[in-house]
Amino acid sequence: MNDEVGGNRRRARFQALCQTLRPDLLRFAFWLSRDRALAEDVVQESMLRAWKAQDSLLDENAAKPWFLTIIRREYARTFERKRLITVDVDDLIAKEEPVLAAAEEQDLSEMRAALFKLPDEYREPLLLQVLMGYSTAEIARELDLSGPAVLTRLFRARQQLRVLCGEDAVPDGEA
Amino acid sequence: MMDHEHYRSAMMADPRDPDPALRQHRESCAECRAFGDSLLSFESRLERALKVDIPTSRDVLPFERKAASAARTALKAGPWRRFAIAASVLIGLGLAGGLWLALPQRSLAADVVAHVEDEPQSWQPRDAVAGADLEAVLKDSKLRLKPDAGIVSYASSCYFRKHFVPHLVVQTESGPVTVMVLVHESASRPVQFNEQGYRGSIVPVPGHGAIAVLMRGAAADPPGAEAQALQRIAERVSESIDWST
Repeated sequence: MNDEVGGNRRRARFQALCQTLRPDLLRFAFWLSRDRALAEDVVQESMLRAWKAQDSLLDENAAKPWFLTIIRREYARTFERKRLITVDVDDLIAKEEPVLAAAEEQDLSEMRAALFKLPDEYREPLLLQVLMGYSTAEIARELDLSGPAVLTRLFRARQQLRVLCGEDAVPDGEA
Repeated sequence: MMDHEHYRSAMMADPRDPDPALRQHRESCAECRAFGDSLLSFESRLERALKVDIPTSRDVLPFERKAASAARTALKAGPWRRFAIAASVLIGLGLAGGLWLALPQRSLAADVVAHVEDEPQSWQPRDAVAGADLEAVLKDSKLRLKPDAGIVSYASSCYFRKHFVPHLVVQTESGPVTVMVLVHESASRPVQFNEQGYRGSIVPVPGHGAIAVLMRGAAADPPGAEAQALQRIAERVSESIDWST
């Protein structure tokens, strides 16, 4: 009986956690995959995995990076499993136009299209920093990179975005 | 002393960097201050651009059902209902001729293998699942199992290819066999597969999708004979399911 009550409580807590984090995780998966349907699949599968592995989450305050790591792995697994083919980024942009469109601000649509065009190795650290609020050290840990390598990628990510959005490039002194 | 280039490179990598040296340079250099302002404006646009609204069609988190199903399966109450052994399904070992085919339905087979790999605990030897628990798992797919299906040692309602499907492990003379009842899939003919250490068969069930059966480890029988045996297990399971519920 106690086990059952404890199980229900645990389930409710975990469910609440998922509900809270889901929008950000879905956004992250979307920008990672550039595919809304795939993002939904990845988040859905990740939550199942997280449920099964919830005992390994020792601190609920660390839930977000914990989920995020699961999502990145699940996305990589999907990639391996389905052997996703390379597609034209303009086709991706056209396909996700309803999500990328920002009727009120044309420059947001432009920025979103530019984000789609960023190479994965630049887009991912940028997402972690701007969308998920990761520090350079946290990004380095998550992506298994050195701190300087992360900074270089972030520099180049913004550099490319600026150019794609019609702004001046910044002299690449360090990176 | 920080120069313009260092300031701009650092800001481009992390515009919110609270480093006092950056702040100090910004305050002392009008040109870099203008650059910083412009970059922060760009950053604000980037942040807003990333906050897309993603409408989702899925209101129910899958683990809720999964968890409920797992909880039911974990209950070990009451006497075990033992179904008649499925040994006879392996009689056809002498019948050769099954081909270990390449995979016209590779993606389905690969997904089945990937799913089974994710649930290694399903293979662990254990007592038969209680009849009520088994019934609950099958009920999600509106199915029932007749009492001659064999000993079911694992039963879970699993989220697979956007549907909840029964994932069973049936004990046979050849060892545990995973069975997945895929009412939402279609198969035009039986297909055998052998990948990542799993051998299996996907068998069509007219009007009710398909059934996937698979075993793990090295084959004890010649490929043709084992393929035949797996197919017969699938057919036997299919016959043991009451599809009309």
